[in-house]
Amino acid sequence: MTRGSKALAISLAILILTPAIALAGAAKKITLWYPAGDITAGAAHFADKTLFADFEQKTGIKVEPVALDYDTMQQKIFAAAAGKNIADILFVDDSWLPGFLKEEMLEPVADAKAKAWLNAVSPEIRTLSDYGKGRMWGYVQYGIDVYGLTWNKDQFKEVGLDPEKPPKTWAEFREYAKKLVKRDAQGNITRVGYAIRHVGQPHGIVHKHFWAIYGAGAALIDNHLALRGGKTLINTPGGRAALQLILDMLDVDKSTSLNFPDPRAAFLKGIASMQISETVSIRARQPKEAPDLKWGMALPPVPKAGDRPATNLGGWLYVVPRLAKNKAQAWRAIEWINSPEKDYELCKKYGASPRYKVNWEKEPFKSDPYDQGLKQLYPYGIKLPINLGFNGIMEATGNAIQKVWHHEASVDAALAEAERLANKAIADAAK
Amino acid sequence: MISERRRSPRGVLARLHSRHVLHAYLFIAPVIILFGIFRVAPSIQTLLYSFYKVELLRGRFTFIGLENFYSLLTDEIFRRATVNTLTYVITIVPISAFLGLVLAVLFNAKFHLKEFFKAVYFSPMVTSTVAAAMVWWWMYNPQFGIFNVLLKLVSLPEQPWLMSSRMALPSIIIFSIWKNLGYNMILYLAGLQAIPPQFYEAATIDGASAFGRFWRITLPLLAPTTTFILIYNGILAFQVFDQVFVLTGGGPAGSTNVVVLDLYRQAFERYNFGYAAAEAMVLFVFIMGVTILQYVYSKRFEVAY
Repeated sequence: MTRGSKALAISLAILILTPAIALAGAAKKITLWYPAGDITAGAAHFADKTLFADFEQKTGIKVEPVALDYDTMQQKIFAAAAGKNIADILFVDDSWLPGFLKEEMLEPVADAKAKAWLNAVSPEIRTLSDYGKGRMWGYVQYGIDVYGLTWNKDQFKEVGLDPEKPPKTWAEFREYAKKLVKRDAQGNITRVGYAIRHVGQPHGIVHKHFWAIYGAGAALIDNHLALRGGKTLINTPGGRAALQLILDMLDVDKSTSLNFPDPRAAFLKGIASMQISETVSIRARQPKEAPDLKWGMALPPVPKAGDRPATNLGGWLYVVPRLAKNKAQAWRAIEWINSPEKDYELCKKYGASPRYKVNWEKEPFKSDPYDQGLKQLYPYGIKLPINLGFNGIMEATGNAIQKVWHHEASVDAALAEAERLANKAIADAAK
Repeated sequence: MISERRRSPRGVLARLHSRHVLHAYLFIAPVIILFGIFRVAPSIQTLLYSFYKVELLRGRFTFIGLENFYSLLTDEIFRRATVNTLTYVITIVPISAFLGLVLAVLFNAKFHLKEFFKAVYFSPMVTSTVAAAMVWWWMYNPQFGIFNVLLKLVSLPEQPWLMSSRMALPSIIIFSIWKNLGYNMILYLAGLQAIPPQFYEAATIDGASAFGRFWRITLPLLAPTTTFILIYNGILAFQVFDQVFVLTGGGPAGSTNVVVLDLYRQAFERYNFGYAAAEAMVLFVFIMGVTILQYVYSKRFEVAY
């Protein structure tokens, strides 16, 4: 080989190797998709550009959070998966899981890791994380959603009710709402005793009435942890009682109205004295939207004294899609941000409730009245079903609730139809 | 012999013609190719999907023949969505065409600030449907919305608008008419201005009244415009989605659920792509049928001038 050709060979080798060396030295970048805006308090920290700085320094893996519009996020995730160009980490609503599982879209958490997590976290997080026999599809975010009754203490005082004593039974609840409702000179309701959600996506309507359905002994499905099969228990005496309760408040007591569509907004505006929804949302919005509002938080009322209360428990999860390109790095990042140390640090910073048992023993959570109040609600929290026909069940039930409250169908007829449609959805999804 | 034929004037013309044809095809090729990729291919794919159980992420396609279509026949939600869609189409198409015509006739006259008002009426057309629907959602709000404030001012009872399953669909129709009116008005205005003034002069000399002139001259000569407006508005109305999604999400109690919203939910919430494709094919047949019917029927009224 001549000197000239040697030089050429060396130059070519350097030329070929340079980008490879540069790439090997550069940080590996992984992406994380999360919902934009105030959708969940648990997503607030993604706006902090330094959130993953320590992780990046330690591992050389750069995590890039990307905000997506919440309303279309589920569809975008699916389209991206179909196009095989999906993020490495998804931060998703747990009610989306049945759809994702139906398409086998998610990577399960390794058994050993799942076991360690389930042993270390508090019972409500364990309930939310465990999808049957210790199976986990992702790590539940801190600041989980638990629904509770919230009431306006000043308005309670105004009508002679004890502001520290919320209604405990349905009978009390109706009485309180009747006292709290306010009308103008023409008799139009200007403030409802209790605000109901009756418009919008059927899912949202079911969520907001879940407490009454389950409190009265009905259920969306017989087995919440079964992916396939089963039947709905909505068309039962409990289901009928739950729908009738609000119908009576609308027609007999006239303590609520169809003209107050958003319970949380109505509550924060002072035009609803009581409402039942995610307490975490009221906690996050109240300082900005209603700084003078004094409010209390308790379990939703039960049909009669001695009954077990029920409320819904939901949350957001970090999951890894099956088609993610950097699964190992994604799991490392997820494990890092969900470590006990980060759980404590982030919950303290963002005023959220922690997940690890060990962190509940530390201040400020140990003595914070809001966090301690949540602990009273958690044991009664019920996780949504994961059945593959879940969307159909929710649509059928939500539509039944709307039909009854809008006087389009009797309770019996609406629930019979809901039962038929929900069972069809369950059967279709199981095929 | 061949070269002789090539040199002959006929041969030269033939060659030029074929070259022109080739050039013409080359010029339209980009559009044809893009149309094929983004319109024709997905349509064929949708047709194929309608005969399958489609599990997109698993890459599993199970041929099930007409099962999706049979299921549609017994699907109460789809049936209601179809009835709602037809109600929407039957109401909105004639009303918005009629109001467009009325406005066009008014704007065909000369008056002060005419161009400004024309722009005002046309502006909803260039506004994003989603943005406009968000604003209307607030206008329809029973407590704070302007509609109830106005009703209260004239001592009429306040209405629940989108909150009521009886009023929600009419409320969406009102919004859609407001949105489309300007476009119909502009089309009719163009049609009116194309009518030769001699016809009106002759009719006036013959003693025809204003209504007679409108009925006997304007309306028949606007038949091609009317046909276009009816077909175009009909196709758009069958595809209604954005305003329903934003204003009501298909509720309350499915009272505003429409076919496109239902197929969107089937595809992207329940991941039943085959079933959604079958719904799309039914919608396609509806649109095609109504379009052909409108086209054939309106031919009767066409007048050449």
